[in-house]
Amino acid sequence: MPEFECRLKKYRQLKELTQEQLAQQVGVRRETIMRLEKAQYNPSLKLAVDISRAVDAPIEEIFIFP
Amino acid sequence: MNKRAWKRTILLGVGSVLLLAAASWYTAVYNDSRLLVPMDFSTYVFQLRDLPMILAMALFTAYILYLVVLLVRVTLRSRKQDASRTRAIRPQLGFLGFFGFLGFGGFWTYAFNGAIFPFVFFMFFGFFGFFYEGKLSNTFMDERYRENQRRAQLAASRTALSIIFLATLLLGQGRLLGSLEYTLIAYVIVVTLALALEMFLAEYLLYHYDHDDPAGESEG
Repeated sequence: MPEFECRLKKYRQLKELTQEQLAQQVGVRRETIMRLEKAQYNPSLKLAVDISRAVDAPIEEIFIFP
Repeated sequence: MNKRAWKRTILLGVGSVLLLAAASWYTAVYNDSRLLVPMDFSTYVFQLRDLPMILAMALFTAYILYLVVLLVRVTLRSRKQDASRTRAIRPQLGFLGFFGFLGFGGFWTYAFNGAIFPFVFFMFFGFFGFFYEGKLSNTFMDERYRENQRRAQLAASRTALSIIFLATLLLGQGRLLGSLEYTLIAYVIVVTLALALEMFLAEYLLYHYDHDDPAGESEG
């Protein structure tokens, strides 16, 4: 069960990035981005910040915790 | 190592074990079990009929040394690699796990001359984990991978420690079948199997934590 909602896919597509490109930018594997988008993986603060910078969106709008 | 070299290594192993078994049978039947049973080597005199056993033992020892050299080379090569990637090994190394079956030889050697060391070979069962480690060979270790690695290692260690804890509790009384010797043998077997399970489980769980995805892997 996801502990949070993740809107990464929406912001990534807005920036016209593939999962592979985003993964390379933030220094993780594509599988990690895939699981992040499905809210199956809770990222570290550093990864969340890196992703937020890569897709140019505020961190609290990408990862929404109840 | 290429596919042909792997096949050659496995065939050599099977060949040397078969040769050792045949030489043991020959020695037991035709040579009064010389060199099979403990003997006083200060008075040893070579006989021609000892030759099959000596050659088979030399070949088997050479094969074990070859495997050790192979393992050292693989270890050294993986250390030279980028620290952010898993070591590059082939899943076929998992076949080394079959050496675990040599552990059953302990029952035979114990009945024969009281030696229990072969039971330690049960630890080789842990090498079946190479099948899974090989599948994750040369993988970039990002934070999710390292997290899964810690989870898998923790689960494997806890399982092995629980087994050892229970075995210590039960066998610590030293009264298995009313014999302290049987208790020691059972304890050695349980500990070696628990260690093998720990080695295997750490790789098996890591592979499944890393790959299990019911929804499938799509780009989207």
